[in-house]
Amino acid sequence: MSDLENVSTDSGIASDGAQAVGASAGPTRRSLIQGAAGLAAASVVLAHPAIVRAATESPVKIGFIEDESGNLSIYGIQKLHAAQLAVHEINDGFTLAGGPVGSGSLGTMGIYTPTPPTLTSGPGPKLTIVDDGGEPSAHAIVTADPEEILIPSGEKGLLGRPVDLLSSDGQSNNTLWQQLARRMIQQDKVDVLVAGFASAEREAIRPIVDQRKQLYFYTNQYEGGVADSYTFCTGAVCEQQVIPVMQYMVEKFGPKIFTIAANYNFGQLTAAWVRSFAPVLKAKVIGEEFPPLEVSEFSSVIAKVQAAKPDWVMTLLVGQNQSNYYPQAAAAGLHLPMASTVNMAQGYEHKRFTPPSLANMHNAVNYMQEIPTKRNQDFVARFYKMFPNDPYLGQMAQNTYFSIHLYAKAARLIGTTDQEKVRRTLEAGWAIEAPEGTVFLEPATHHASHYIRLAATDEKQQISFVREWPMIEAWWLQRLGVNLVRHPEYKQYTPQEDPFFKMFS
Amino acid sequence: MMRTLRLLNGAHDLGQGRVFWSGLALLAVAFLAYPVVASSFTATNVAYYLLNIPMALGLSLLWGYGGVLSFGQVAFYGIAGYSYGIVAGNLQEFAWGTVAAAITALLAAGLSAAAFGYFVFYARVAAWIVPILTLVLALLLATFLGLTAGYQWRVGDVQLGGYNGMTGIPALQIGGVTFQDYAFFYLVVLVVAACYIALRVWVNAHRGQVLMAIREDVLRTELLGYDVRLEQLRAFVIASVLAGVSGVLYVQWGNYITPSAIGLQQAALPVIWVAVGGRDSLLAVAIATFLLNQLTYVLSSSGNQSALVIVGGLLVAVMMFAPEGIIVGVGRARWLRALKVRRWSAHPGHGE
Amino acid sequence: MLPELTSILYQFGTNAAFLLLSALGLIVILGMMNIINLAHGEFMMLGAYAASFVVHRGMPFPLAVIMAFFATALFGIVLERLVIRRFYGRELGALVTTWGISLILAQGALLLFGPYMPPIPIPGGAVSVGVFSFSVYWLILIGISVVLVAGLALVYRATRFGLQARATMQNPIIARSLGIRTGQIYMLTFGLGAGLAGLSGALLAPTTSIAPYMGQQFVAPAFITVVVGGGANVIAGAVGSSAFLSLIETPVSLTLGTFYGTMALLVMALMVIRVLPAGISSLGARLRPIVAR
Repeated sequence: MSDLENVSTDSGIASDGAQAVGASAGPTRRSLIQGAAGLAAASVVLAHPAIVRAATESPVKIGFIEDESGNLSIYGIQKLHAAQLAVHEINDGFTLAGGPVGSGSLGTMGIYTPTPPTLTSGPGPKLTIVDDGGEPSAHAIVTADPEEILIPSGEKGLLGRPVDLLSSDGQSNNTLWQQLARRMIQQDKVDVLVAGFASAEREAIRPIVDQRKQLYFYTNQYEGGVADSYTFCTGAVCEQQVIPVMQYMVEKFGPKIFTIAANYNFGQLTAAWVRSFAPVLKAKVIGEEFPPLEVSEFSSVIAKVQAAKPDWVMTLLVGQNQSNYYPQAAAAGLHLPMASTVNMAQGYEHKRFTPPSLANMHNAVNYMQEIPTKRNQDFVARFYKMFPNDPYLGQMAQNTYFSIHLYAKAARLIGTTDQEKVRRTLEAGWAIEAPEGTVFLEPATHHASHYIRLAATDEKQQISFVREWPMIEAWWLQRLGVNLVRHPEYKQYTPQEDPFFKMFS
Repeated sequence: MMRTLRLLNGAHDLGQGRVFWSGLALLAVAFLAYPVVASSFTATNVAYYLLNIPMALGLSLLWGYGGVLSFGQVAFYGIAGYSYGIVAGNLQEFAWGTVAAAITALLAAGLSAAAFGYFVFYARVAAWIVPILTLVLALLLATFLGLTAGYQWRVGDVQLGGYNGMTGIPALQIGGVTFQDYAFFYLVVLVVAACYIALRVWVNAHRGQVLMAIREDVLRTELLGYDVRLEQLRAFVIASVLAGVSGVLYVQWGNYITPSAIGLQQAALPVIWVAVGGRDSLLAVAIATFLLNQLTYVLSSSGNQSALVIVGGLLVAVMMFAPEGIIVGVGRARWLRALKVRRWSAHPGHGE
Repeated sequence: MLPELTSILYQFGTNAAFLLLSALGLIVILGMMNIINLAHGEFMMLGAYAASFVVHRGMPFPLAVIMAFFATALFGIVLERLVIRRFYGRELGALVTTWGISLILAQGALLLFGPYMPPIPIPGGAVSVGVFSFSVYWLILIGISVVLVAGLALVYRATRFGLQARATMQNPIIARSLGIRTGQIYMLTFGLGAGLAGLSGALLAPTTSIAPYMGQQFVAPAFITVVVGGGANVIAGAVGSSAFLSLIETPVSLTLGTFYGTMALLVMALMVIRVLPAGISSLGARLRPIVAR
């Protein structure tokens, strides 16, 4: 497993970049007890791995925390490798296409949309549109699909400095996450922090981030609602995933829904979305079950679903134990169509589980490695060239990848890594050509619009994309009137604060 | 006064005499001077290594001196942490709100320990069942708190927050001083020192002797007229209040607590700190707690995936080659005695 | 009515079988040797890994399960010789050590084999009664767990090894003076316990995802089952407690939801221990005099 060994160095893959990263073996810090009477044993572990570098090289530091060991490592290692790929490309002189493009509506996005949105399909008038690189180009509107999204950035590294990925292992342990976040912010003084899988981890470090005014990217798919001036959430949220998948499922299979959701924040909040939008789609949630995360044996849940006879099942199950539901349900002869917002795109269950455990599963995702576009297949090839032994390249890995490129683009544009300035620049309405398609970073809410595809599995758990939405906005925070550019906020909204949800719960 | 000092210097912990106490005093001074050379980040970090010590000391009292192993001290750590968060969050406009919160938190830990301990010790369950019962308690609490994600789970203004935890817990404030950064570091150092001194006096005093007698032979102690159940309960409550002290300090360190602070992984940690140090020495336990916390942090912050393997290997090695604990092993080693540290009378071996 | 009744019975059976299988290896190691083995979950993980490894190299699943038993048993014996044997009479030392071993095994599996192993398909189909359908494999598991427990009881009641083992557990010094090689007995008992954990792990492997940290899910149910069962007669105790606990859990889960089912199980465990400190198996000992009268 040579790819795992890469993980153990702070500088990651920077070694083969032209700009060598500064020597990381700086003087170690001596701590206080050393030398105190009778405590010789203390000195063994008192050495802090402080990273001290020569002032001349001063790399741009990207702080990165993920769970590389422990329960959640199945997701963390993917994300780490994607981050290493992005840093490697930046140091090699590449960037993703894209730039600040204005308001972010569908029209201005046209040039960047990989496949034409239906309203403008067909031959159009010839228009001259200024491309991101400054080159005038002639395209029929919105049909241009820049297949080559990885373009030269004009320099190796960022602002003449090498980029260094400081990665730490959170070990699926919230307290450690806080310690590591503090170290990254206060001691290593990272220029940007990219971190967080579970919502609990994000909530653990967000107070620290806010207190120190740290620029922070959270790249996970999550339940939504974080309105935080220093945080940019680049993953997909409920309104981008739940409603599209429900719409499809109701049309195709029928209106009776049974929800099985993990009994914790993510599951309960997402279940509230399902419950509240069912009436809007003329559907009905006929049963709900919230198994705790500790439960790993599902016979009573399965019996309840069988007794309720729904048309399809919404499974919002997370974690090692709860994924047992799928093989157990299949073995018990429960073959109802399923929908989800978490499975397959993160933990690649369709690859790990034997068919037909995950047959007939539907998920509205912003990314999976199976997306057949050329730009994505190129990305997938680049990833596996660097990490040939990796099992999967999932949604959050891709989010991490484009988020790091996005940061570099913004810093390059404003010409500094000053966090306040980069943050303001990121609020300029950026579109970036990610492997999934064009992603627009909405300035007011710090969330991203995504290219959403409905992934469905067949009997053999092969993926096909059965419906596409080229751009879905993260509109819920807009609806609540969040505008971080004008009114700084540091909280997470829950559906209970939105009167709409009260109408249906 | 002299009596207390004599008890403090008593035989039931490592280290006696002038040399030892001067060394310890030097160490205390070193800690107090540390912020002069340290950044607020490293001071806060060191404060974290220290703040678990009261919980470990409590477990040392209960297990090392009393012979009762609790696997669920984190439950009381959590009860105190959550209680502090709830009370402090609701009394934010009052000047002494956080102090009231800290007192409430310790009371909550003590009372819940008394109630639970009554069940356990007055039922006279077998010694090997106690660790599992306490573990079940911790799991029960963690499971319950994990399910409090909904909006309905709020006490006054404070949301319990389910798995994502309780956020924005205010720091302790006494008069005009808010205990953050350096001030928090000093607070932790003083609390830890006070806990150590108080416990050391306690184990050398009469109650401590009774506790050790129970550890050596329950029946004999009972025949001497002591109520074993009461003594064990008392030790359990003290240990749990100390766990509460750690819990209150922890929530101020991170302004945050989640149910995973009470989960299976965390529950085992105090036991490991105590076992590695040497459970029948308070000093050894304190040192081991500090060093192991630091080791975990250093290993993981260097991005080393083998951190858990190394910690696991260390545990196995310690238990095999220094079964009474590394630090106790070193402390009792002959070469140290040769350094004229006054002889510390080792306990006769005792069954667990 | 019949389908509902069958469904309830089936749920009761699967809940009990899950508890019993989780606890099987622990019964032997904790009950017979008084060693609190915190690496129990990781032994189950090893069994599942071994089974997955050979199943994907063409071995039929039933054979793979048997192979998993021997592989884990062998691992247990080696571990006993190298480490565990130093901890007899020091149960709490063993507890810390086995915790260390569990960390090494779980994270080591992650480093060596990656984040997951290829899954094993669940053998057997489903049978349906009314609207409900039931997994044949779980029905088989219920049967197997009964057979395993009966076999274990037979080994300890009717074989020479069982007699010597019980003698050793009761009083090792006298046993040794009677010529029983107690070291060997300990080694074999630990091997048997480890092997049974591996066997359970392999049996449960198709119903779960096979990953380094899969063992954690079994630890709490296993300990609760054994503790509620008590020490007077560990095998009977475990059977009684798994039946009792699922008797509580099943109806509560069915009516109030899985969350309350789990809570009811934990609360009941605490209650039982308060009322019967020596566990359910002590109930037999208490009742016997009354019945004899």
